[in-house]
Amino acid sequence: MDKSHIRNFSIIAHIDHGKSTLADRILETSASFPKRLIKKQTLDSMDLEQERGITIKLNAVKLDYKYNGEDYILNLIDTPGHVDFSYEVSRSLAACEGAILIVDASQGIEAQTLANLYLAMEHDLTIIPVINKIDLPNADIPKVKKELIKTLGFKEEEIILVSGKTGEGVKELLDEVVVRIKPPLADDNKPLKALIFDSYFDSYRGVVLLVKVVEGKIKIKDKIKMMAKGSVFEVTEVGVNQLDNTPIPVLSSGMVGYVCAAIKDISKVSVGDTITLENNSAKEPIKGYKPMKPMVFSGIFPTEANKYDELKDAMEKLKLNDASLTIEPEVSTALGFGFRTGFLGLLHMDVILTRLEREFNLNTIATSPSVIYKVYLTNGTMEEIDSPNKMPDKSHINYIEEPYIYTNIIAPNEYIGPIMELCQDKRGIYKTTEYIDETRVNIHYEIPLGEIVYDFYDRLKSSTKGYASFDYEISQYNKSDLVKMDILLNGEIVDALSVIVHKDFAYSKGRVITEKLRKLIPRQMFQVPIQASIGSKVIARETIPAMRKNVLAKCYGGDVSRKRKLLEKQKEGKKRMKMVGSVEVPQEAFLAVLSSEE
Amino acid sequence: MSNLSSIYIHVPFCTKICSYCDFCKVLYDEKWLRKYLTSLEKEINLRYKSNKIKTIYIGGGTPSCFDNAFFEQLLKIVATFNKGKDIEYTIEFNPEDINENKIKLLKKYGVNRISIGIQTFNKTLLAILNRNSDYEDIKKKIKLLKDNNINNINIDLMYAISNQCLSDLKDDLEKIISLDIRHISTYSLILEKGTVLYNKKMPLISEETDAKMYNTIVNFLKTHGFCHYEISNFAKKGYESKHNLTYWNNNEYYGFGPGASGYINNVRYTNTRNLNKYFNGNYFFDKEILTKKDVMNYEIILGLRKIKGINVKDFYAKYKVNIFDEYNIEPLIKDKSLIFEKDNIYINPDKLYIMNEILIKLI
Repeated sequence: MDKSHIRNFSIIAHIDHGKSTLADRILETSASFPKRLIKKQTLDSMDLEQERGITIKLNAVKLDYKYNGEDYILNLIDTPGHVDFSYEVSRSLAACEGAILIVDASQGIEAQTLANLYLAMEHDLTIIPVINKIDLPNADIPKVKKELIKTLGFKEEEIILVSGKTGEGVKELLDEVVVRIKPPLADDNKPLKALIFDSYFDSYRGVVLLVKVVEGKIKIKDKIKMMAKGSVFEVTEVGVNQLDNTPIPVLSSGMVGYVCAAIKDISKVSVGDTITLENNSAKEPIKGYKPMKPMVFSGIFPTEANKYDELKDAMEKLKLNDASLTIEPEVSTALGFGFRTGFLGLLHMDVILTRLEREFNLNTIATSPSVIYKVYLTNGTMEEIDSPNKMPDKSHINYIEEPYIYTNIIAPNEYIGPIMELCQDKRGIYKTTEYIDETRVNIHYEIPLGEIVYDFYDRLKSSTKGYASFDYEISQYNKSDLVKMDILLNGEIVDALSVIVHKDFAYSKGRVITEKLRKLIPRQMFQVPIQASIGSKVIARETIPAMRKNVLAKCYGGDVSRKRKLLEKQKEGKKRMKMVGSVEVPQEAFLAVLSSEE
Repeated sequence: MSNLSSIYIHVPFCTKICSYCDFCKVLYDEKWLRKYLTSLEKEINLRYKSNKIKTIYIGGGTPSCFDNAFFEQLLKIVATFNKGKDIEYTIEFNPEDINENKIKLLKKYGVNRISIGIQTFNKTLLAILNRNSDYEDIKKKIKLLKDNNINNINIDLMYAISNQCLSDLKDDLEKIISLDIRHISTYSLILEKGTVLYNKKMPLISEETDAKMYNTIVNFLKTHGFCHYEISNFAKKGYESKHNLTYWNNNEYYGFGPGASGYINNVRYTNTRNLNKYFNGNYFFDKEILTKKDVMNYEIILGLRKIKGINVKDFYAKYKVNIFDEYNIEPLIKDKSLIFEKDNIYINPDKLYIMNEILIKLI
């Protein structure tokens, strides 16, 4: 096929703006797949993705399309819609020459619309602005058009109106993909350069790499080399994705497809890396590669201590598919053996915890998330700390730095007040506010990431009745007056409950946490004091009174079976508790520190 | 090891429904009463194997609300049992049903123990419970019983009723003591599903007050010569309820009547609460076939209700198992949940009111 007939493109959008539905419609319209084979939202193949309407892992599909009587290949490369996965978005955009930017006709521009658009612009992509869901009764096309023109600088005649639901405008959109998006720059004669934009593990073939060949060719038996990782493999299969993997003899420049090379260990390859040939290597890799770095860390422990091996097994299996997940063993005096686990963000963490429960049937306790703190010691060295319990003794610390983020918070202007109050409460530093149109604003703050991982998102949603959308990029590390706060149950420090807090906020946080724990931990046979302390200084205290009554009522009429069942039920309830020292603590208490709302 | 010598008979009729009651009962109705008596007799004939009987307990409902003819008919059915010499034969009475005629029938058929449902003398609390009782009237009724040489009398006392305060309880206790009876059964109000109080979402009193009331009762009755022999039962010496001890000693017993429970040949069963089914001879509702471990678990659950607890030698004699090998008792002795003394294991009196916490560590 003539390279000038290839188009590589992505669809970018804010969550829920209809990306997956539009993708399904595109598959139908291109006539590449029989309609009956298109499961709703084909690109979202993980159950969890379909259920939540989010795309977690990328996929790429090759479509055959006829325009003006000529055959074209359209490669649709899917991108995750969530901020946690922005590096993955960036890599898949790097494999494209163009992008369709979707905006919901009833919602208008939102935080992730902007974040994704900026990413696409960084990659010099041709962008086709699309207003989707025009069939909705509350669609306000003129208003959204105005936003696209005024805020994002598109021209009115560039904007295409579609409905992913009814299919209206989709054919026109695909025609425009062919017309507007440039074919890939390609040169089969140069040394191989292929960009890895995603990978997954297949139990039969090993790691499957999704690639875009930028220059050169790749075929079976080629000895390939990962330019950043340095590892070498022999290619066992190359092909393109239609509904399934379809092997072909060779992938040449400009094409998007997959490569298998009997790779057993996903850590040997890395998304963003460049594949070249071992014998005829490219001089430079494709630019933009960075190793993926987890941002949020949490201790994950099995609820039942004897499930540690099962948890280990499950974590390793998840890691096969997810190179961004980091795990290392962790021991907690309160929770026993588990793993310090690194995630890209909170959604990523949530997805992993849900998968552990659903796919592996494991009940886990996750400790409150932490970010990486840079701790400068009095001896002149610096330590990176990802857990409150690794914090060195106060006397050795010179100062501490924590990561900040730069926010895009888009909301109707009547919510400016509550949003600013929330950001202030989260130690935010106000930057600017931009007006998107007469009624909507984009508010920029710098906020410590460590505050975002608590209940920022939930509180933002509730204080703006769900109208605000939120996105962020990591900005820089700043010096902060941080301290480690311990929680003591019955006089003993519970390591899994320790948190790092700003000194000025420690008292109020201590009060909220101890009060929450008092409500969550049931009465025990003895009185249980709950204390929050910094060093040896107690800053908040609550007391759970001793249990005074738990007895079976009089056995009337000799019906004792019922009483026994009641006891069995109580006993069953205890199983969901974790013994911490002498205190029985329910699972949810370990996340009590997460939410700071009173 | 059959020791089947006790009988419970459930009478599911009342003239007034108490707001807290979740037992099997309907309003008094002569047509149904006839059917009930016919069906009860059939059930007894079907199941009773002429064992010698040491205790009979007729409860309800309100067995005393039957008019005299029906009352005698019920007693006649019961008269067919093979009664032992020292039988304890109890019937539950509402105070207003105690009269000369009924007492004559009691004497004629050998009933020697009366359990009177008083619950409280406090008029406000009685209104919450949808009950009547009057101290002066009860005093007369109890005198009448004693004049007829029926001295083994129990009174039911309820506490932790919504809005009740400690002084209300003390007042009830003073009045009960003045009646000079032999046995007192207490229980703290529970809101069971389906009862009027539950549906009204009646607030319960606090755990602290409830426990305080319990301690008040225990201390008060002990100083007035009652022996605290089971978690919620008190008796003058020699007047412990033999029938209830059957339950707590994990011995077998017959249960007849709708909603009644029984325990025969390692099976714990509960009869249907559906009167139509019962009248049609479909007595069973549910049964639990017990393994040896189950039987031992019941021994623990029930035995530890007794203040004296479980005798380890008796346990061995009964099950040929050392209780210390079978149950993880030592740590509970160590943390003072249990006390081991003179071959008996019992709950630390300080922890009686939270004994479930201890039981679930054992079973």
